[in-house]
Amino acid sequence: MRFAKYVLICATALTAADTGPLPLIPKSVRFAVIGDNGTGGKEQYDIGMQMEKLRETTAFDFVLMNGDDIYGGKSDSELKKKFDLPYATLLTAGVKFYATLGNHDNPNERFYKPFNMNEKRYYNFKNGNVEFFALDSTYMDGPQIDWLTTSLQGSTAAWKICFFHHPLYSDGKFHGPDLDLRTRLEPVFMKNGVNLVFTGHEHFYERLKPQNGIYYFIEGSSGELREHNLKQSPSVGKGFDTDRTFMVVEIAGDDLYFEAVSRTGDVVDSGKFARQTAVH
Amino acid sequence: MKLLLTILIAVLARADDRVNADAQITADFTKRVADYQQLKKTLEDKQPRLKETGSEFTIQEHEHKLAKAIREARKNARPGDIFTPPISAEFRRLTGLAMVGNNTARIHKSLQDSEPVQMQLKVGDSYPAGVPEQSTPPTLLLNLPALPPGLEYRLLGPTLILLDTKANIVVDLMTNALR
Repeated sequence: MRFAKYVLICATALTAADTGPLPLIPKSVRFAVIGDNGTGGKEQYDIGMQMEKLRETTAFDFVLMNGDDIYGGKSDSELKKKFDLPYATLLTAGVKFYATLGNHDNPNERFYKPFNMNEKRYYNFKNGNVEFFALDSTYMDGPQIDWLTTSLQGSTAAWKICFFHHPLYSDGKFHGPDLDLRTRLEPVFMKNGVNLVFTGHEHFYERLKPQNGIYYFIEGSSGELREHNLKQSPSVGKGFDTDRTFMVVEIAGDDLYFEAVSRTGDVVDSGKFARQTAVH
Repeated sequence: MKLLLTILIAVLARADDRVNADAQITADFTKRVADYQQLKKTLEDKQPRLKETGSEFTIQEHEHKLAKAIREARKNARPGDIFTPPISAEFRRLTGLAMVGNNTARIHKSLQDSEPVQMQLKVGDSYPAGVPEQSTPPTLLLNLPALPPGLEYRLLGPTLILLDTKANIVVDLMTNALR
């Protein structure tokens, strides 16, 4: 019943309106989102360049990584090729990357300092009026769910954003949603006022229509791509599965603005959300 | 009336015995895991502590050295040292309890969609770099005894492996963990 009330009250705010470029409001929280990026291929470098280009105008401060940060080998030279070099300009400029573990990652990547995981499989951090919760969806055990519940309950942030690898909702033909993960996480999100969720795993971009009052994005094509893998579905808000993408997000007060940008620099999706008013 | 009471007492006593037996098996598992953790700690204490670093080489070197030390210390380790037959039977019962009703289809779907891996690993093997790790459905994890940090349950098809993530090494495995 409580969930139903939450959904009802949120419903009015849950429309994405095309807005054009980010408004770049002073003191807003600005960040980029990438996922399934660590291939070391030319396309990853192209996305890195587009990110640099967009940072010149948007000045985003940090980047969320939705997992599969490093595919294949994980030697020093491989990490250089699959992370340090594609994002060299951003790293040199002091842009922080916050990683989560995907199913292609070694859990010991949490010790890799540029990933800012603070040696933890799951962690949280705050920026302005937004708190971010990085989860390890490959191994969602009891202690992690307990930690998430407690951390969300203790959060005073206006916006609560979770990011992790496996999508709870997806219209991908190859993977689809992780239903068991959804069963365990969605009630925690709903009960504790999570506003928005970023995931990867599917190698395309998808903005889902809000599900039970929560915004969901899949950004899993910042290196890998599974062409034409997005199926027609009423739950697709907008999808793009013919080239690589990344996202840039700006949060100012109760408004969130987003853009999904392709490897060629085209804006393939953009919009504005109002923050949901949670009722607990 | 007296007969009914006698039957009830007998049933309750049997249920109680079962709970005690399950608790003993779980306690045995916990002790075996704690013994392993103690061994690992002793070996890890001989190495420089792994801290956050910008060098992946340092991370991998730590992982490889720790794995080597564990392999040497457990050179006689065999499948079933931790997943003993009674513990395996109890684990199969617990995974069976998790897979009831709607859970069964949901767990199987989650497993199918999470890039299932088919390969043979032995106790002491490293989990191969470049091979994706199948996510372990949370509903299964919530039904199995909790593990200390650094140890994880992983599935390879129907085989459950106990993986030391710090050393990236298979500690033990049990076949036919899932129905």
